[in-house]
Amino acid sequence: MLKGLVLSGSLFTVWLVVQAAVFHLVAPRKTFGSMLACFAPTVPLYVLLYWVSPVDLGLLSSRFVGADWRLGFGNGLAVHVLLFLTAGLFYSHADRSITVRLLIELARAPQQRLTLAQIQATCGVEVLMQDRLNIMLANGFLVARGDRLVLTPKGWIGGTVGLVARKILRMKAL
Amino acid sequence: MKGLVLAAAAFLFLVTGSAVALRVYPGNKEFRVFLGAFAAAVAVYTGAFRLLPPDLGFLSTGWMETAASVDFWNGLLILVLVFHGYWCFSYFACLSPSMGVMVALRLKSREGMTRVEALAIQGSDQPVNLIFQRRLPKLLQGGYVREEAGGYRLLARGGRVAALGSFLKRLINAQVGA
Repeated sequence: MLKGLVLSGSLFTVWLVVQAAVFHLVAPRKTFGSMLACFAPTVPLYVLLYWVSPVDLGLLSSRFVGADWRLGFGNGLAVHVLLFLTAGLFYSHADRSITVRLLIELARAPQQRLTLAQIQATCGVEVLMQDRLNIMLANGFLVARGDRLVLTPKGWIGGTVGLVARKILRMKAL
Repeated sequence: MKGLVLAAAAFLFLVTGSAVALRVYPGNKEFRVFLGAFAAAVAVYTGAFRLLPPDLGFLSTGWMETAASVDFWNGLLILVLVFHGYWCFSYFACLSPSMGVMVALRLKSREGMTRVEALAIQGSDQPVNLIFQRRLPKLLQGGYVREEAGGYRLLARGGRVAALGSFLKRLINAQVGA
């Protein structure tokens, strides 16, 4: 099991470095697409490395070797994908968090103080929602028909997932 | 494999427990429900790992990890990663303004909505936008900001979060003021 974990951990670290470089050098418009494109080759690479490398990777002690190879392979692959999803969520949180954005605006303001009107003008619903609607249009969740916005099939799936989740998880907007 | 099976069982327990707890929880600090459910799931996982036999009564020898510590920590790692995904998904699905628009459009079917109607979902027509009605009281209670002369002043604690946020945004090359 440890062999798969070492391989996925190593590949994930390499991907993090490459992705950070891509963000700074290319500044992709579709960030998640860029993350996925850079990450995708690490999956076949993991499979290849698992296939060609020795059971102990030349460094693991014998007590960490012995379980069925399919268990180690599948487990490493699952961890690899989960790490990527976690990184995606981390990116989303750092990039999209409304609370963090509000605190940053306060930190940048003169005397670190803003009135409610200033907060709403800087990062209020007008600014935020126009930005989010544009992102959803660009990412194919919505399409504009005249002055109205309608869901694409992808957006319909997203809306359904949200609808079901909101029925199961009763979280309050306030 | 024992760790994986127990992590899956603990995660099911976590999801069920948090969904039930959210229905009866009266407050608006849902993160406490999620963290409580996670702590309980970790306790269940740890307890079950200690008490149950290595083969769980049904695993064949080939599917048993030879080092118990690797099995335990691997299961815990997967439980943590899946919990993080579930937690983020729950907040996104239930509270994200973007998801709010998609859910509203899903309910309206083919009718669609204008940008003004989409903005109104987040209380753009109210004195305090819905997104701030939820967040500002929490920032005040948490000691991140304080109300001062008709405005809000950043406190040291909020400043540290803002500095971390700016650092993370620079790390991913995102616009700091966006």
